[in-house]
Amino acid sequence: MRFLVQIVLSGIATGAIYGLVAVGYSVTYATMRVLNFGLGMWVMLGAMVGYTLHVTFGLNVLIAMLGMMTVLGGLGLLAERFTVLPFVRAGSDVWIMSTLAVGLLFINAAELLWGRNPLAIPPFLGKDPINFAGIGIYPQEILIVIVACAVMVALDVFYQYTLLGKAFRATASSTEVAGLMGINTRRIASLAYALAGCLAGFAGLLVAPVTLAEPQMGTILGLKAFAIAIIGGLEAGRGIFVCGLLYGVLEGLLSGYLYTGIRDIIGFTLMILVLFVRPNGLFGRRAEERA
Amino acid sequence: MGKSTWGKGMTLAILAVFVLLAAGPALAQDTIKIGFSGALTGPAASFGVGIRRGAEIAVDDINAKGGVRGKKLQLIVRDSEHNPVKLVAQHRELVEREGVVALLGGTNSAEMLAVAPILNDQLKVPVICPATDATKITENDAWQEGRDNYVFRYGMFGRGQSNFLVNMAVQRFGYKKAALLTWTAGWGVTGRGELTRRLRELSTPLVADETYDTADTDISPQLLKIKQAGGEVILNYGLVRENVYVVRAKDKIGDKTPYFSAWGLATPAFWRAGGNLGEGVLVSTTITADGPQPPERLQFLKKYWQRYGPDMDFVPGTFAAHDIVHLYAQVMEKVGTDPKAIRAALENIPAFKGLVKDFKRPVFTKSRHDALQEEDFVLGRWTNGKLLQVHFDQEGPHVILDDGAKRYIDKKTLALR
Repeated sequence: MRFLVQIVLSGIATGAIYGLVAVGYSVTYATMRVLNFGLGMWVMLGAMVGYTLHVTFGLNVLIAMLGMMTVLGGLGLLAERFTVLPFVRAGSDVWIMSTLAVGLLFINAAELLWGRNPLAIPPFLGKDPINFAGIGIYPQEILIVIVACAVMVALDVFYQYTLLGKAFRATASSTEVAGLMGINTRRIASLAYALAGCLAGFAGLLVAPVTLAEPQMGTILGLKAFAIAIIGGLEAGRGIFVCGLLYGVLEGLLSGYLYTGIRDIIGFTLMILVLFVRPNGLFGRRAEERA
Repeated sequence: MGKSTWGKGMTLAILAVFVLLAAGPALAQDTIKIGFSGALTGPAASFGVGIRRGAEIAVDDINAKGGVRGKKLQLIVRDSEHNPVKLVAQHRELVEREGVVALLGGTNSAEMLAVAPILNDQLKVPVICPATDATKITENDAWQEGRDNYVFRYGMFGRGQSNFLVNMAVQRFGYKKAALLTWTAGWGVTGRGELTRRLRELSTPLVADETYDTADTDISPQLLKIKQAGGEVILNYGLVRENVYVVRAKDKIGDKTPYFSAWGLATPAFWRAGGNLGEGVLVSTTITADGPQPPERLQFLKKYWQRYGPDMDFVPGTFAAHDIVHLYAQVMEKVGTDPKAIRAALENIPAFKGLVKDFKRPVFTKSRHDALQEEDFVLGRWTNGKLLQVHFDQEGPHVILDDGAKRYIDKKTLALR
């Protein structure tokens, strides 16, 4: 029993990391049908810039977080303007490559600026694990789960109750009509991209005390999160996050009761099965439902 | 300025270019070129950079004393980017265009396995590997067929390292039930096979055989399984990042099972990332730069710190590269710079005073192309940020701290008594 509880707890902690990153994919997809395939590298960059501000310059973690998100948001605006918009305008799919190229550029830049060794960022709430009846968890892991949930709520509030959020949703449902109603859809598109960048960076600095910050940290994380975003349904923000949690727990159970080696085989087979049964993902709505 | 003057100037310039071109090979012959191709960027970059620095210091030392047979040594470096295809192409280029007469081996086993037959069958220039540990690199086809083998190694090799780790755990520390925890990528796979083989040879039960993937952030399920299976020691083959997750998961679930690792953790990067969670981890290596050191090693360390700063990320490879260049210099002083002669002479060095080891026996023989053997390997213990060598006496394993104090290692937890 203790074994099971420990594994489920660890799984939730890992799953929250996946979920938080995966949600980033939905932000741009839901508004303008564009995916940032290099998103994992934005997560990494968030951790790295956060490391410099928080550890090297010794800034308070909240200030470091804000500063880093400003940098990544700015980069998001630039990246959208120069690596996505020109191709979308031309009706070409080259943005798939260019978003990935930006990610690779980040990896190389990070290797030059921060070196290739993993960097440790001290946990925000203390180093020692909390131990209860032989079951351990790190305060940072609890923090990740709570903050990730808070971010989901905040996103919901943003979409439902703010003018800008409503403009996002309007652009998502029809760019043309939204444009006719006086919404600057061009600006919405770049804001969505910047928001995704901020969110990815936020996730990066939040999880770095657990995962370590290093240039390659986003590669596999980004890939798994992408799979989760697909399983959840690319437009279903909350659904994606729930999927992330479930996926983390599933991974833990497979490692604990079966074998690590077959974990990804089962995980990705499940993904394909889900897509067979529900092509829009577990929580995505079908086209006719949406209309 | 008249037209004719301009014309004359031009003619002179062209002439000068031709003279320089003609003099090129002659200039090149004034130096003896040693080549190195390995990862200088990407995830394995710290290995390649460490090797290059060790070799650079050695080359400068030798040149300051007049070089070899009156000629200066020159190190020619290429970045293989951890890519076997690039490394093979660069070896060709180094030999055929640059005319290197000897090589230092690369940074990843797959690279060296790929280039070994090409060196033996086509390029015929000797290489000595400071880093890559797959057993078959030196025990290649040419070796098996008794032909001239151009591939040597001055570092860890898979079979030896696994034997050393298992022997230490079973024979010196006396554990009865072993568990494996290995990386599913790269050398973790070969390491797992070699460790299993050695455990079987010593008929020690393997009670759990767990693995972790690249970027697995939480290893607690695997550690819990090992605990449930009653593993008394965990043997690991992997690199820094995943092992920081391992020691963190051990801390989280309060697991104190002794942890023995292959030399992927013999780098200060492990302590920088893992902090004091790494305390007590035991690591097999060829050399450790921490703790009391003989004066020659201190001298080398001082030169390194002066040139490159306080971080030496790949201690065994940096020291080995230094020794390899000196080994080449010693051989070339004797037999000249023909690559074939150098290769043959490497198999006949009766003694060699290196920083990693003071050889009183032949460094290599025709049948043994691994300079360092199991008995030359050392066990290090991560102790307060330093990798201290583990010594043994009647009372058991111990380390010697900086203040000279002798502290024994508790075999149940690897804590200091």
